Amino acid sequence: MKKIKDYQSKDVQSYLSQVKDNDKDIGAFLEFNDSAEASDIEGTLSSVPFGVKDNIAVEGMHLTCGSKMLENFVSPYDATAVKKLKEAGAICLGKTNLDEFGMGSSTDNSALGVTNNPWDTSRVCGGSSGGSAAAVAAGMVPFALGTDTGGSIRQPASFCGVYGLKPTYGVVSRFGLVAYASSLEVCGILADSVDTTRTVFETIKGKDVNDQTSIDHIPASPEAKTIAVLSGDLGLSPEVEAAYKKAAEAYKEKGFSIIETTLPMLDYGIAAYYTIAMGEASANLARYNGVRYGHRSKDASNFEDLVQKSRDEGFGDEVKLRILLGTYVLRSGFQDQYYTRAQKIRTAVRNEFDSVFEKADLIMLPAFPTQAFVHGDSSLDQFQQKLADKFTVAANLAGVPSMSVPVSVENGLPVGMQLMGPVFSEERIFRAAEVLAEVLPPAACPGKMEVC
Amino acid sequence: MSKYDTFIGLEIHIQLLTETKIFCNCKSNFGDEPNSNVCPVCLGYPGVLPALNEEAVKLSYIVCRAMNCDLAKEGVFERKNYFYPDLTKNYQISQFEKPFGRNGYFEYESGDEIKKIRFHEIHLEEDAGKMIHEGDRSYCDYNRAGTCLLEIVTEPEFKEPQEAEDFLQAFRRAVRHLGVCDGNMDEGSMRCDANISLNLPGKGLGTKAEVKNVNSSRFVKKALQYERKRQEKILKSGGTVIQETRLWDEQRSVTESMRTKEQAHDYRYFPEPDLPPFRPDEAFLQIVEEAQIELPLARKQRFMEQYKLTEVQAEWVCEEKQSADFFEKVVSLGADAVTTAKWLMGNIAKELNARNIAKTDLGTDSCQLTEKRLAELFDLLSNNKIHAKIAVQTLQIIFDEDKNPTNIVKENGWEQSAEDEGELENIVKQILADNPKVVEQIKGGDQKPRGFIVGKVMAATKGTANPQSVQALITKLIEG
Ligand SMILES: [Zn+2]
Repeated sequence: MKKIKDYQSKDVQSYLSQVKDNDKDIGAFLEFNDSAEASDIEGTLSSVPFGVKDNIAVEGMHLTCGSKMLENFVSPYDATAVKKLKEAGAICLGKTNLDEFGMGSSTDNSALGVTNNPWDTSRVCGGSSGGSAAAVAAGMVPFALGTDTGGSIRQPASFCGVYGLKPTYGVVSRFGLVAYASSLEVCGILADSVDTTRTVFETIKGKDVNDQTSIDHIPASPEAKTIAVLSGDLGLSPEVEAAYKKAAEAYKEKGFSIIETTLPMLDYGIAAYYTIAMGEASANLARYNGVRYGHRSKDASNFEDLVQKSRDEGFGDEVKLRILLGTYVLRSGFQDQYYTRAQKIRTAVRNEFDSVFEKADLIMLPAFPTQAFVHGDSSLDQFQQKLADKFTVAANLAGVPSMSVPVSVENGLPVGMQLMGPVFSEERIFRAAEVLAEVLPPAACPGKMEVC
Repeated sequence: MSKYDTFIGLEIHIQLLTETKIFCNCKSNFGDEPNSNVCPVCLGYPGVLPALNEEAVKLSYIVCRAMNCDLAKEGVFERKNYFYPDLTKNYQISQFEKPFGRNGYFEYESGDEIKKIRFHEIHLEEDAGKMIHEGDRSYCDYNRAGTCLLEIVTEPEFKEPQEAEDFLQAFRRAVRHLGVCDGNMDEGSMRCDANISLNLPGKGLGTKAEVKNVNSSRFVKKALQYERKRQEKILKSGGTVIQETRLWDEQRSVTESMRTKEQAHDYRYFPEPDLPPFRPDEAFLQIVEEAQIELPLARKQRFMEQYKLTEVQAEWVCEEKQSADFFEKVVSLGADAVTTAKWLMGNIAKELNARNIAKTDLGTDSCQLTEKRLAELFDLLSNNKIHAKIAVQTLQIIFDEDKNPTNIVKENGWEQSAEDEGELENIVKQILADNPKVVEQIKGGDQKPRGFIVGKVMAATKGTANPQSVQALITKLIEG
């Protein structure tokens, strides 16, 4: 397996041209950084290339969010996470594709390009951080930044067979992350190994004056002995079911005690998650109206007309749907019924996790009920895709860290499991993931790019 | 006497005097070159986050405390959603369910009475940018976007338009004394929307109309007077008042319906997820407590009581905090209070005017007349070292040459000394001897020529003689 230092490149431009070539079949990137050059900063990440999901700001590069709305928008500043990586000598190689504004779980909702799963190009890479997951799986970069609002790092990580960390809420600054659902989302990491994930996490974490919801990381105990798994019929595909069992067996083999539990709140989590996320999105996306930001309609006659036409032309259907629903749930007089109620469920989810973490050090659960599906698969419509998010959204509602870990390859496609812990337990998760890798070493994607 | 009860409420917005904007480090100067004080944060760029300016929170709590509000143990920002070109994010970060202050009140003078108005709430929010219209084009200046705005909402309990005007003037003075706002209504750093409704006695509030675009307290009164008449006419003829927003037309002195869909606005408030709730700790509350001052009305009343100033004097002295502080400092240095007030309103005000020095510059580096210098001047005067006319000249030189009064008097040889009483008597004697005719006239009971003698003595002493002493000597030498 490639180590992070194998990626350190002194000839970044020739490396970039290999990547460009390799990306033709994948479509992980929306934009490449043609002025990328090697760094003379010392350190593990020096001259290591990385990808950045295109809803995270990189100075001088586009910040499209996968939307026609921002197709021509160039960011004048760096997101805090990007800035920290640059300061550590890492090189932003390009911006990766995503579902428009992070809304989706296939990356097929991008208005600007198609990204294929490197394991099987007829299949989706997952989403919304699909481009980042695909770029890592294809070996183009050892890691990429993603964002996770309800599973947007963990689900594509599972689909593409890479590691995907959603850190504790607030531990990585959101400054420079184009907001979709502010109270749920975090900036996180997709990487080809636990060690790389750890190195990047240590680099980008920490309180940031530009994000007053950010907090310092006070590490929880790194030890784990007991892992909780979910019992009962979880509605998993046979392949995911099989992988779940394999992972539990692997832990038993390594001397962990496995306990069974249930999380009844998961079923309510989806409704609460979408209510909060859409409500926040309706405000967060209001600035794209053609006045200062976003596509400007050419045939508007006044301000109101300009706003309506620009938004109609600029946003895709899924985005419009979520803005409409978000506007609906926030109407005055309806907040108790929707938004406030969702916040109460959120508290209940948090409490349920707290009680499980009294018995277990970590919870292991699937990232998604299925493996990567084929592009345009009609067996899972947009609504069903949302229901399938139930294993991932809970961590966002509770604000706890969770990492998708590649467990096995079933029928030629990877399956990942989430390791979820209490707040600040990232190191505990890393160590447990390393233990799992000893028994079930992650498989490399066929045709993975060789380092020069 | 109208058969209707009137209910007037005010919403006042004050621009807080912070160095920087509420959520970024841009300068809070919105009069500068358009779009020169802007950054990604106040321009609402994709991906930016607000970082709350604690100074703005501090000033807000200082106002809330001074206005006798219940101070929020947890203040929460919320998003107020609406589309407008001057609003970069198309939502305004404001407060709704948990404002910093609730249930306050404020006492003000109206006519001969002290009246009390209750406040519903006081909350902090970001201001929007400014639209500039030119022909068929509109431009946005975002220098004002994200500046700190404090909104004060009164209960609808003013009964008369005059009360609203009196309150606004008193409130303006109070925020200036607190040092939180410059209170310039014509420049928009203090703005006021008024609402008014009429109803039959005992029926409670009527349907209100809101009046916007009023940029002076006098116009607030005029707009409300107009609006009261308009509504009264509607009600008398059996009609109903429409709840709407009306604009004050300064040229025509009328209010006019805005005719927009404004009423249909649902702002869809929800807690701002980018800012944690503000919970003041003990140290913060201590700072707020220490920043409290005696409000102008209380101070004025005390000055009348303690220093025996007339109402007019106390009013003048207490108009600005700087003038009131200056006054008390001078008095504390030993000067007579009434003399100090008289001089401030008279000679000193004249000098300030002539030199374009503001009353608020008193006691600052922009004013050459320090408290110490004025007290020293009064000291020279009360000890008969100089007389009043010389004192006025000395005052002018203090301003002109930035010098101490004692030095000025010395340099000009203006010192009149009690020990020189004998010398002065000799001078008067000599002048009387030189003018026997005049002496005869005075002896004959004609007092007019006394002035002639005084003039001669003043000339001989280069103006240092105390005219009263000269008069006394004339009496003594002629009649004695
Ligand atoms: Zn700014």
